[in-house]
Amino acid sequence: MDIALATDWATIRALVRRSANELIRVPGAAVPGVLAPTIFFLGLTAVFGNLTLLPGFTTGSYASFMVPVSMLQGAGFTGAAMGVNLARDIELGLFDRFLASPAPRWVLLTGLVLSAAIRSFIPATFVFLIALAVGAHLPGPGGLIVTYLCVVGTATIAACWSATIALRFKTQSAAPLMQTVMLALVLCTTAYAPQELLTGWLATAAEYNPFTQVVDAARQGFVGGVTWEGTWPAFAVIAALTALLGALALRGMRRTAY
Amino acid sequence: MPAIEVSNLQRAFSAGVLAVAGIDLRVDAGEIYAFLGPNGAGKTTTVRMLTTLLRPTGGSATVAGHDVVAEPAAVRAAIGVALQEAALDPLMTGRELIRMQATLHGIPRAEGQRRADDLLRRVGLVEAGDRRVGTYSGGMKRRLDLASALVHEPRVLFLDEPTTGLDPVSRKSIWEEVEALNREGTTVFLTTQYLEEADQLADRVGIISAGRIVAEGTPAALKAEVGKPRMELVLAAGERGDCVEVLSRFGDPLPPRDGTLMIEVAAGSAAIAPVVRALDEAGITVESLDVVEPTLDDVFVAKTGHHLEGDEASEPGTGEAEAVSG
Amino acid sequence: MKGSVAVVAELGRRSIRQTFRRPQLIAPLLVIPTLLLAVQAAGAGRAIDLPGFPPVESFFDFLLAGAMLQSALLAGNSGGIALAIDIEMGFTDRLLAAPIPRFAIVAGRLAGTAAMGAVTAVWFLAIGLIFGVRIEEGLLGALLMIALVTLAALSFGTLGAALALRSGSASVVQGTFPLVFVILFLSTAFFPADLLLEPARTIARFNPLSFIAEAVRDPVISVFSARELLEGLAGIVLVGAAGLALCSLALRRRLRLG
Ligand SMILES: Nc1ncnc2c1ncn2[C@@H]1O[C@H](COP(=O)(O)OP(=O)(O)OP(=O)(O)O)[C@@H](O)[C@H]1O
Ligand SMILES: [Mg+2]
Repeated sequence: MDIALATDWATIRALVRRSANELIRVPGAAVPGVLAPTIFFLGLTAVFGNLTLLPGFTTGSYASFMVPVSMLQGAGFTGAAMGVNLARDIELGLFDRFLASPAPRWVLLTGLVLSAAIRSFIPATFVFLIALAVGAHLPGPGGLIVTYLCVVGTATIAACWSATIALRFKTQSAAPLMQTVMLALVLCTTAYAPQELLTGWLATAAEYNPFTQVVDAARQGFVGGVTWEGTWPAFAVIAALTALLGALALRGMRRTAY
Repeated sequence: MPAIEVSNLQRAFSAGVLAVAGIDLRVDAGEIYAFLGPNGAGKTTTVRMLTTLLRPTGGSATVAGHDVVAEPAAVRAAIGVALQEAALDPLMTGRELIRMQATLHGIPRAEGQRRADDLLRRVGLVEAGDRRVGTYSGGMKRRLDLASALVHEPRVLFLDEPTTGLDPVSRKSIWEEVEALNREGTTVFLTTQYLEEADQLADRVGIISAGRIVAEGTPAALKAEVGKPRMELVLAAGERGDCVEVLSRFGDPLPPRDGTLMIEVAAGSAAIAPVVRALDEAGITVESLDVVEPTLDDVFVAKTGHHLEGDEASEPGTGEAEAVSG
Repeated sequence: MKGSVAVVAELGRRSIRQTFRRPQLIAPLLVIPTLLLAVQAAGAGRAIDLPGFPPVESFFDFLLAGAMLQSALLAGNSGGIALAIDIEMGFTDRLLAAPIPRFAIVAGRLAGTAAMGAVTAVWFLAIGLIFGVRIEEGLLGALLMIALVTLAALSFGTLGAALALRSGSASVVQGTFPLVFVILFLSTAFFPADLLLEPARTIARFNPLSFIAEAVRDPVISVFSARELLEGLAGIVLVGAAGLALCSLALRRRLRLG
């Protein structure tokens, strides 16, 4: 048992190392993943910054309000990028090496997902620092930890979803499906404004979208105080979505019927 | 226990292509078995099913005593695989790749390091071992792929077209490696489009066309099946006379083609000297003379009506669909 | 002259066919702007209550033009990618070797981009009508919008083509994708200039895209104004002229370097 676990852990580390190669050995590989959320953060802040003049915002700084969303978005893109890489590996036949090995399938999936989760620190931290530079509120340590846990959770969810799509379609042209769904999941929430200010369909959608819990939890430290009541629903949502999408991805990996 | 046992194995694709249309075969431990067939015959599809990368849509197969569908993990632990196209991560170095492969097979770090050194030496990549795979030549990639398939000392080795696209020297080095492995006791299942390769390496050959095995046996037996060696003669202009009578003493005459006379000669090249002498005595001048041994291509033509190389008519879903979209 | 018209028509037909045969390439051009339109219209819907917001029935009405131009910009980018792929595959060399005018190569590709522009305009008009947008200027206004968006796509397409001719690399053109959003966020495509935060406010006043956006938006939210139309057309001509000049430079360089 112990030996098996040690083997699995070594395999996971090998997968993470291989994925890190991409960042370390390809110059500029990290740039697109960092650029997109940064542009969205700066752009949305500049465009919609005056929304905080409306009654209902608990902060006068739209940058503070928006930065957690952009951090989560960066994590979502990172997870999706992992899916695109997996699809490329499948297209090229590189993934066959892993599939033909005796490593348990959950180990292969964990290696991929963990790579995305670790990598999500890069865009999230970059956006966070940019936000501080343009005057966003610096949360306390508790708030920051919750935000980063939400970032890692979002990357995990995105990676599981994107892996499912990659294993299903086996082509990089499925990339928009991975990215768009994650974008929709993050944005169809209280991303742009607090729930009371949402109008039309989004008011309903955000209320029922479980991911709203994650956005609100990640935002706590930036716009006010952190509470356990504001935090645990996010963890529950992350756990549930990870379990669901992880199971789907695992099924995709087991059904290697091309 | 046979190393590989396949019974009525089938694979259909959604487009209605029956890529493998029910094959039976048995490879004994310690054998080299070659699957010989043209493009699209179903070689890769078969290998993918036997290596648990593709689920069969019919029939059954066991590899190293384990069912490929029911016990895929046990099969994976027993086999080494080098697939067509040698897909290798261009960003990794050769050594890193072998060590990763070792990790995937649960080999501890230090041991993996040792085997990586051994294998790099074995396939002649010591110098290149710490360079990125992206800088390797085609032949080096194939050798690395082969080495990485050996890291856990598999009992059964699958090689899908291991030498396609390689120059004769690189091809030779792969052949020597395969033969050496086989001497050490590894069972080898390889696919190839090259007659020469099957002839040279394999203990037994299965000829596959359009998803079916059309002939199987040792190279010698297969060739014997299509006929004996034949002698082809072109005589100097006007010489005909009683030569047919002379030749028929050495073997059964075959119908002449384009002025070339042909007889079957069971003895092969050994018949050349007596025939020349006999014709000389009869005063007949020979312009050229050749003994042609039957080849596996002859076997292929006899079984399918097509030539093995440069004839794609045997592909089930011919390339038309691709031509339109391209 | 007659000959070149036939060549352009043939290349144009090819590029239009190519565009519409690959739904996975068109889909993102429509899906992402549609998603952002839906989310922003409802998420920031209360923006119209802000003091200084021009009189509109809903924020959706205001955003419609922005969504159309976002699609048009993406169409210009993807037209550039298609041309770069042609260059990578050697198709363009074949054309350069043929006795046809050089500009036909670019013009043919632009036909596809313009067609995409028209499709996106119609798409968003349809969405607008379904979700209750009333176009103040009626049918004529709608036709004017389609014409403007088509021309705008054409002019953005010249920039994409110039980049493709200069770089000859699809991934380089693809890499400029985030620029589309930079240009959008720094214009009045999503928000009135007076309500943007600095420095976006100042930049938006000079950004040609702002003028194009005002011209496309005008028929939706107010009575026809010749001035806005002329300013919009001027913006389109400016961008198009710059793009064509860059195309011609890039083409000349390409021929010189062989
Ligand atoms: N995923 C797939 N979907 C549909 N058809 C497929 C698929 N994979 C293979 N085929 C078809 O199955 C047939 C056999 O293919 P396979 O790759 O096994 O041939 P092969 O003998 O390995 O050929 P080659 O020498 O070119 O490698 C071909 O007609 C091919 O088009
Ligand atoms: Mg093959």
